[in-house]
Amino acid sequence: MIRLTVDDRPVEVPEATSVLAAARAAGTGLPGLCFDERISPQGSCRVCLVSVDGGPPVTSCTLPAREGMVVRTDDPKAAGAARLALELLVSEQPPRALQIPADRSELVRACQHFGITGSQFHGSGHARGVDHSHPYVKLDRDLCIACGRCVRMCAEVQGTFALSLAGRGFDTVVVAGTGERWLSSPCVGCGGCVDSCPTGALAEPGLLDPAPIDRTVATTCGYCGVGCALRVHVRAERVAAITPVHGAPVNRGHACVKGRFAHAFTRSRDRLTTPLVRTAGRGSPLRAATWEEALDVVAAGLTAVRDRYGGDAIGVVSSARATNEENYLAQKFARTVLGTNNIDNCSRLCHSPSAAGLTASFGMAGGTNPFDDLDRADCILVAGANPTEAHPVVGARIKQRVLDGARLVVVDPRRIDLVDVADVHVRARPGTNVAVFNGIARALLDNGHVDRTFVRDRVSGFAELAELLRDYPLDRVARLAGVDAAVLQQAALLYGGASRPAIVYGLGITEHTHGTDGVRTLANLAILTGSVGTPDGCGVLTLRGQNNVQGASDMGALPDLLPGYQPVTDGGVRARFSRAWGVDVPERPGLRILDMFDAATTGRLHALYVIGEDIAQTDPDTRRVQAALAACDLVVCHDLFLSRTAEHADVVLPAVSFLEKDGTFVNFERRVQRVHPALAPPGQARTDFDILHLVARRMGADLGCPTPADAMAECATLTPTFAGISHERLDRDGPLHWPCRGPDQPGEARLHLDRFATRDGRAALAARHYLPPGEQPDRSFPFVLVTGRRLAHYNSGSMSRRTPNLDLFPREVLDVHPDDAARLGLADGDLVEVTSRRARVTFPVSLTDTVAPGQVFTTFAFPDRPTNALTSDCADTTTGCPEYKVTAVALRPG
Amino acid sequence: MVTEPREVFVGLQARVARPGTSLLERLREVQRERGEIGSADLTRLAEELGLPVAAVTATASFYADFAEGRRGRRHVRVCEGTSCFASTGGRHIRDLEQVLGVARGTCAADGSVSVQAVRCLGYCYDSPAVLDGDQAGTGPTLGGLLDKPPGSGTGSAASVRVPPPPIPYRSLADPPVVLAGLLGTEGEWQVWPAVVTGGAPERVHREVEASGLRGRGGAGFPTANKWAMAAAEPGPRYVVANGDEGDPGSYCDRLLMEQDPHRILEGLALAAFATGAHRGLVLVRSEYPAAVARMCTAVTEARAAGHLGRRIHGSGFDFDVAVVEGAGSYVAGEETALMHTVSGLRGDARPRPPYPTSSGFLGRPTVLHNVETLAAIPWVVRHGGAAYARLGHPDEPGTKLVCLSQLFRRPGVYEVEYGVPLRYLVEDLGGGLRDGHTLRSVQVGGPLGGFLTPDQLDLPLLTGPLAEAGVPLGHASLIAFDTAMPAAAILRHEWAFGAAESCGACTPCRVGTRRGLELAERIGGTQLNGASASGPGRPGRAAELLTRQEPLLEVLDTASLCAFGRGVACAVRNVTRVYSDELARSSP
Repeated sequence: MIRLTVDDRPVEVPEATSVLAAARAAGTGLPGLCFDERISPQGSCRVCLVSVDGGPPVTSCTLPAREGMVVRTDDPKAAGAARLALELLVSEQPPRALQIPADRSELVRACQHFGITGSQFHGSGHARGVDHSHPYVKLDRDLCIACGRCVRMCAEVQGTFALSLAGRGFDTVVVAGTGERWLSSPCVGCGGCVDSCPTGALAEPGLLDPAPIDRTVATTCGYCGVGCALRVHVRAERVAAITPVHGAPVNRGHACVKGRFAHAFTRSRDRLTTPLVRTAGRGSPLRAATWEEALDVVAAGLTAVRDRYGGDAIGVVSSARATNEENYLAQKFARTVLGTNNIDNCSRLCHSPSAAGLTASFGMAGGTNPFDDLDRADCILVAGANPTEAHPVVGARIKQRVLDGARLVVVDPRRIDLVDVADVHVRARPGTNVAVFNGIARALLDNGHVDRTFVRDRVSGFAELAELLRDYPLDRVARLAGVDAAVLQQAALLYGGASRPAIVYGLGITEHTHGTDGVRTLANLAILTGSVGTPDGCGVLTLRGQNNVQGASDMGALPDLLPGYQPVTDGGVRARFSRAWGVDVPERPGLRILDMFDAATTGRLHALYVIGEDIAQTDPDTRRVQAALAACDLVVCHDLFLSRTAEHADVVLPAVSFLEKDGTFVNFERRVQRVHPALAPPGQARTDFDILHLVARRMGADLGCPTPADAMAECATLTPTFAGISHERLDRDGPLHWPCRGPDQPGEARLHLDRFATRDGRAALAARHYLPPGEQPDRSFPFVLVTGRRLAHYNSGSMSRRTPNLDLFPREVLDVHPDDAARLGLADGDLVEVTSRRARVTFPVSLTDTVAPGQVFTTFAFPDRPTNALTSDCADTTTGCPEYKVTAVALRPG
Repeated sequence: MVTEPREVFVGLQARVARPGTSLLERLREVQRERGEIGSADLTRLAEELGLPVAAVTATASFYADFAEGRRGRRHVRVCEGTSCFASTGGRHIRDLEQVLGVARGTCAADGSVSVQAVRCLGYCYDSPAVLDGDQAGTGPTLGGLLDKPPGSGTGSAASVRVPPPPIPYRSLADPPVVLAGLLGTEGEWQVWPAVVTGGAPERVHREVEASGLRGRGGAGFPTANKWAMAAAEPGPRYVVANGDEGDPGSYCDRLLMEQDPHRILEGLALAAFATGAHRGLVLVRSEYPAAVARMCTAVTEARAAGHLGRRIHGSGFDFDVAVVEGAGSYVAGEETALMHTVSGLRGDARPRPPYPTSSGFLGRPTVLHNVETLAAIPWVVRHGGAAYARLGHPDEPGTKLVCLSQLFRRPGVYEVEYGVPLRYLVEDLGGGLRDGHTLRSVQVGGPLGGFLTPDQLDLPLLTGPLAEAGVPLGHASLIAFDTAMPAAAILRHEWAFGAAESCGACTPCRVGTRRGLELAERIGGTQLNGASASGPGRPGRAAELLTRQEPLLEVLDTASLCAFGRGVACAVRNVTRVYSDELARSSP
């Protein structure tokens, strides 16, 4: 700590604090219009001048605080010049600049600080106009004071470099891209510029309205699994704006175009506000019903199936978007009321190979290290993930680290945005991950980059792996993966040569027929280099696709595992839960999602209870899903909207979004964070938590734990890894990492420091051979279709399509390499018919060399382009996770 | 929290190893081919160079050469520098506009011709001046250009008929140092082969240290100290020659670059050798097309002669040089701004520290020298630092090139030893003013320098005593103003320069220079606009307006980010002091 005095007040600040921040810590309220703690100082506005140790005026923002400094903000020379600088700024501003509410304008607050109501300087202002082309970022150029905060937010925090100051002298002003329409610039809509702008030159729609905000609620984002802390500003019972929490541990005052802006879906006119039932059979229309009626139908239907065929004839699909408490309640409902372990959640479709693979390698089903560890990493290996679009705040952080000097290796078939700043891009053919990781592992061995001591003391399976790796010389792997051996070698040298390497991976590793092998062979690299379970290493981070993918599984919404990954087959575990719940937990593991569909079509499963997930749009091989839904006697779903699945349901119960919920989410780094309701649910919509209680009660059962806090408390008593976690503690102390084994335990951000959680305490190297993917292109289906996510949209698109994000990306397209397009005679925007071995779907094409020749890419965010009709039923041999990443298709101009 | 200023685009360029050094040239090519730079060009160039498009946009909008929009097939640059202003009061610009039928800053509707006013073309010994394409014309008719009838000049062929006279130069130093090559007393590349093969960088450093050589660009920082600072930082390091001679009134750098470029390159090579740099850059301003061409040729010649390249003269030392042509910005000559310019970025200044010696080109340690400084180094190394130190004044050893403007009887570049009285320069060398002109003031050291009255000319050519008189020596040019020039016009000229060249990086300069210009225009009132304007002004109004200038000067002087804003305040204060009576009598 550094001690100094500011205007005679002593203050203590950490190292690397600016004098400006110190002056503010001392309570001076010193303005600094080009200063933002999230970015580097610029020293350009000259409003923060102070004197130090009696010297001449200096900009306090660019001066590091030092021990014993005597700072005066009231030095006449410094304060006088600062005031003049501010008056100059005021003299170029239009009158409306000073009419902005003080809570939204630092300029107004700075004027208040100096007691300025006008300016002694008079002269021309600007007439540069506004740009409202972007749905979220609204530019009023005449309010721009050229402080450059927006430029630095965009570059230093977001890493996009979309903005710059342009022009010079008095005409200096911010521009995006070429300076034409903001919407057509490279802006990714993260809102960082808007959040930092001190004058309102960059503003967002909800805050342009000068009406005051009624209340602000802190919560956790309900989009991807990064877990950004957000502040929801509510006006007239609608979201006026959402801003990132400055200083939040995960997002550190940053957010993305989804979490920050895409909230209009909450008040979309097609939100479901009453239950819907279909009483006259499947062909009949859904009609509005009372809760009474709908609950009767659901309870009667479930009871009938349970009593006639047994609980195992019912399948429950829980949701990775629901809270922990809701997932806890859902699995308790399945196990205690329906009497079945047939409960699964949509992490089956994305990260079940992570749970299986990481458990096999390390003994625990979560990423091994906290996000903060990227700050220390000197090499980041990003594999099968496109974080700048799918997990933008992580993507931005990776860019920050790379710009600060960390090496970056990208393993991905697409030339994703991060490749632009990467040192190496291993552009491996889809489905060849295991070969690539085995090749890199072999190179680590050959290059002498294996940590022999670590392997000797803390690792099992080395000899077997070393033997297997004989078959993976780089030239062979290069042939298998379609990459240059030198590129693989460079990747191995960078990762192996780093002292604190980190691995960040996503669904490009898991969603394969050999997805679990992909996870394990990737984990091998961290194990071989001793960079996991050690204080130095940065381990393995898994990017989770949805807000609570981690938590849904943590809470035991899994057919074989109870909360905290306690095996349902373990009699002792079962007995403990049975005792607490007062009902015997079924002994036999239940069905996984895709198995539920097969069971339905073969007559073994008669009812499906789906919470939130739109299985008819997002699950692979749609025809199979539709057949399963058709075969069931009863289909119940909870949703915000009439989804594709709801269209097949007998009862649709109106649920609520994360902005209307109380509970917790677990982010991708196992951090448990609070979710607080900002809005009241619309109409008669209810939380999944309440709905489960109502259904259970109607079936004559009491699920206990009447509130989310009670549910978390009950889970904590039954689950050693969450024993120390409670709402009360989270509200008091902030987020906690699991494992957190007691109320006095801090939570373990970095896992396995003493021993791995495997049975023998050692990290298990996996000797797994490369096997070809389930689907392979051939002469009839020569292209490989890869599916994934785009920045503006999220999963099924049910939320993001009901927001102005649609202006950013209005319709789904198929990304095709220009060479392939030329061969097929396709121009940008042309329609192309995509045929897989199962179905045919037409897309407009988008020509881009981000895909390799022979590969095409799209998402399943738009129901009018039913991508999952094309995808196959191939699935991970270990976990049943679908092979979304490899589908053989043919293209024909449409 | 980050407490040190960062340059985001420099950081990106450094990390991905994609400096935009060729961007200015590429923008110029597009402009040459198409007359203007459109947004599609910005996008294409950004992709081509791997730079963010916003950075390219910023550059294209910052530099005057690109920012003025469409260019004609014939592009005429007319000088509005201080000497031209002192010689004609700006009449040559109005006359040219009439002959060409095109206003400054615009292009004829048919795209035939465009006119750009620039500061300055470096023909201050024969003001006023023009560049028609790359062909210069000077004197009252602008090389014959103004002989044509109005509206007749829109043809595509250059119409300058009489080339300008050569730059007069003379050395009064004994022996000549910087002009030694031009005077034939020193050859080219005489010391480099032995030095580079001798492998003793510390010897070069020692001699330069002993010489007491300081930077000749205006800041006067000891050369050897700069080298030591850069050499103490981890490599890679760079050396850069500043040929962005932005001070109107100064043309000695143009003389050196056009007529003795190898001396500059040899100096740069010696600086590189002494500091362990393997790459050098030379920034030459676009207003000096002949200097750009000559420097480029010199680099090719030096490479062919084995003075540059790999394993130079069989030594283990590699060093090569690239020439970057500027694009019209005064502030780009400021050291932090110059690092941006040679990277193809907008030439704005940033707070120091860090200094370029630790964070310069691509964020690496960089030694930046004015070309005049570099041109002295071969002599220092050849004859020893002690020999150099014997020249000049004990407080400030060595020689300085001084430029005298057109109103002097004998304008030209004079190499003199430090310490000579200004009166010696003005009266003995310059011969006083031309017939029919009476000296009213001398501007010393360019637009950020100071003004002296004739009775102050006994001050010596030394940084300290001049600074005490409120006059920064700068690059040491002397521009004579005669009694015919209205005070308010000079005041307006100073503010206009500040407003036009402010980079916009800090509030005082960005907004303050505009407010100052607006104030000066009101003070100028009838005088500037002619008698037909608003009629006789209110007595005492000018004095009141001058009072309102004070807080502007205060904030510029106290709160500006770089020396430019402070310099503008200093220059305006000088004008206001020297011309206080006349200004107060102005009738706004």
